[in-house]
Amino acid sequence: MRVDEAVALDVARAAVATALRCGATACDATLTSARRFHVEARATTLEKLEGAVGTQLHVRVFREGRRAAFATTDLTSEGIEAGVATVVAQAAQVAVDPMAALPERFAERLPELDLFDPAVARRDDAAKIDAALELERIARAADPRIQNSAGSHVGDSVALTALANSSGFAGAYVATRVSMSAGPIAIDDGQKRVGHYGSAARRLDALEAVESVARTAARRATEMFGARKPVTARLPVIFERDVAAAVLSDLFAALSGANVAAGNSWLAGRIGERIGSPAVTVIDDGRLPGGLGSAPFDGEGVATQRTLPFEAGVLRTFLYDTYYARKLGAASTGNAGGGGVAPSNFYLAPGDRSLDELVASTARGVLVMDVIGFATEHASGTYSRGARGFYIVDGEIAYPVDEFTIAGRFAEMLAAVDGVANDLRFDGSVVSPSFRIAEMTVSGT
Amino acid sequence: MLDESILARVIARALRHGGTFADVFCERRRVSAYRLQDGVIHEASTTRTIGVGVRVLVGESAGYAYSDDLEPEALLRAADAAALIARSTSTRATPAVLRVEPVVARYAGGDEAVDAAVCADLLARADVAARAFDPRVSAVNAHVSEELQEVWIATSEGRLVADRRPMVALGIQVVARGKGDRGSGYVGDGGRTSLDFFHVQTPEAMAREAARIATVNCEAVAAPSGEMPMVVGPGGGGVLLHEAVGHGLESDFNRQGTSLYSGRIGERVASDLVTICDDGSLPDERGSLSVDDEGTPGQATILVERGILRGYMQDALNAELMGAAPTGNGRRQNFRCLPQPRMCNTFMPAGASSPDEIVTSTERGIYAKSFAGGQVEISKGDFVFMVGEGYLIENGRITAPIKNATIVGNGPDAMTKVVAVGSDAQLARRHYTCGKGGQYVPVGVGMPTVKISAITVGGTGDARG
Repeated sequence: MRVDEAVALDVARAAVATALRCGATACDATLTSARRFHVEARATTLEKLEGAVGTQLHVRVFREGRRAAFATTDLTSEGIEAGVATVVAQAAQVAVDPMAALPERFAERLPELDLFDPAVARRDDAAKIDAALELERIARAADPRIQNSAGSHVGDSVALTALANSSGFAGAYVATRVSMSAGPIAIDDGQKRVGHYGSAARRLDALEAVESVARTAARRATEMFGARKPVTARLPVIFERDVAAAVLSDLFAALSGANVAAGNSWLAGRIGERIGSPAVTVIDDGRLPGGLGSAPFDGEGVATQRTLPFEAGVLRTFLYDTYYARKLGAASTGNAGGGGVAPSNFYLAPGDRSLDELVASTARGVLVMDVIGFATEHASGTYSRGARGFYIVDGEIAYPVDEFTIAGRFAEMLAAVDGVANDLRFDGSVVSPSFRIAEMTVSGT
Repeated sequence: MLDESILARVIARALRHGGTFADVFCERRRVSAYRLQDGVIHEASTTRTIGVGVRVLVGESAGYAYSDDLEPEALLRAADAAALIARSTSTRATPAVLRVEPVVARYAGGDEAVDAAVCADLLARADVAARAFDPRVSAVNAHVSEELQEVWIATSEGRLVADRRPMVALGIQVVARGKGDRGSGYVGDGGRTSLDFFHVQTPEAMAREAARIATVNCEAVAAPSGEMPMVVGPGGGGVLLHEAVGHGLESDFNRQGTSLYSGRIGERVASDLVTICDDGSLPDERGSLSVDDEGTPGQATILVERGILRGYMQDALNAELMGAAPTGNGRRQNFRCLPQPRMCNTFMPAGASSPDEIVTSTERGIYAKSFAGGQVEISKGDFVFMVGEGYLIENGRITAPIKNATIVGNGPDAMTKVVAVGSDAQLARRHYTCGKGGQYVPVGVGMPTVKISAITVGGTGDARG
């Protein structure tokens, strides 16, 4: 189904009317429709060429303090009606919860956030295919050891979001997204190493150059050869920005009102406490111009805003949608999304030193370039990951290291942040500059 | 879901610029789910997915488009978009009539109507049982879901295959608060069956087990760090196989030469105690498929036999390009996704050792009863696992529980260090979901008690070297 903003709002309003007719006492409906394109190249071959328009409708129904949700790709009026009737019936099993209701206030005067770039919408398929092949060519030419590839990707989307509810709010916006990434594989002495690097933005002119993406990925594929396993020790650990962003994802989870309410956050009950070092200021900004996490209103029509969960190390607030804000006695921070509490542009405030300067000021430590694993215990706030990167000796990168883990407690890690770099880039919704933690357990041999 | 003559027209349109193969994947899926928190059900949801994906293959290249609009014009538009991958001026002839192929069903059940009260009852019983287990239990979060996915796959070879796939899952997370620390425990179960499954595997038993793990983790000491032997418990230890070896044996990585196992069939890749299979044909299991998402029957495939690499898990595209047969491992998350070679139920059959002796023969090390998840980098084979429930082994005895242990290692290296395989093989009673290239599919894993002579444990405790 191809839709414009007016048609999308009509579908959303019609779904709201259907829900009210089926017995809901309140309702909101969100229609998202995205035109997506993706090409993947390996060497000189196009491996994948995907293009389609996908549309989905999400409906939340409230009935006398009970709520239920419905999502569908079937936008026929019979399909919507049958589905809505099903969830209104399902709601009968849900406990009455006075907090489960629509928000009281909605976004007014939707701001212009520079989310749509006509150049993305107009971009020719051939140009994207060429870019994907070019990523492959440049990465292979960068080093003779690069002999294969896990694939280079170029993709974009033009996505429309339209929300209407039974309180009279109706709003819509269109956002573009463009991205590319390369995954060259280097082979040396029979061993394979893949290097991943990419860039993403709302605007085509904000995307990193093809050449730079390909060369960075190529360097990452080759720089880890000869890696050793470090000796188990307590050491300073520098998180390079992409890995740092993954740490911020864990921090977001602990700040999410949903986890706090579920007893699943180590930060619960600690608002006002000094937890991080003074270098820890964490921002969630839903109105960052051109931000990949920006939107004029959140998933339930509430105005997005700029929130500082951590200010110079002090925990100031959690992040909320309407439900968890009510539950925890706070106000929504405009973070409703994806059926729960979601980040907008969530990041650690950058410092003023370069990553090189951070490394140079580290006598002995580890620069972590990549981590694997994802099980963070949010309840107890412990962090543990498999990692690879570089060993630092006397302020210089001495040799690559891999097959080790880094572990610590979040509270101790945040308190020990003693350096934040200036290399922040907004290429995702959760991002971070590189930063250093004064001491963590590094486990190798 | 769609008329056969329309499917045939879409396939013909998809190959109008040539191509080696085309298929149409039609999906209809309903998922109903409930969540419990603070002793009450606070969320209920239904998701309906209806759509069609059209794929055109030209050698190694795939063109793909999908439509959630089932009108013939929309499907033909999708066929045109998928056909952009092909540049030939000549049309490839396709059959005018599709042949319906019989399917051996590996599961039954799957209801059209949701029984909301049954779901609500399962959650309430789990909550009561978890709280009754121990006064330290401070929070119980539980979810239940039941779904029915129906798929129809039509191909340019003239095949039409249908599958009807039920799935139920119950997951219980318990948080316990001890004197000093909180601990959490998670237990989940289910499979391709109906909610009657939970008459046998009761929510009470599952909740007590989750509460037991949470209270154990409350008392846990910091995991040691450094290199040491690891004994992996039966069932859940299978995550180790899934990550350390399984992904590296998916055929796309091997056809492309990006896996460390590329081109190594017939070579030794593990200790001779190690045999690994993938089997989509097991009845009712979470990773089972009567047919995969390309219409190939689910089947048992020997991947590694007594340490020797025997084969890869194949989808149709990679099998064709590698001159192998498809193994029923072509899977996709939904109609918006191209199929990929993926695992179904991956497991290690029983060995000869007594599980008790495996522990008593270990002077110091860790016992990983279950893993909370893991990840692998397939070109070099480095993996990481998070231990869900783990203990120290001291002087051949399982002693203090440990928390926050991460295991890091290298797949082929760890597999050569398998020094004992127990006689107690079983599939993990937990509902695992595997992610690859942004697509998530349900899988099963399993393993007997296994000992790995040395592995790196990353905890926050003292180095034990």
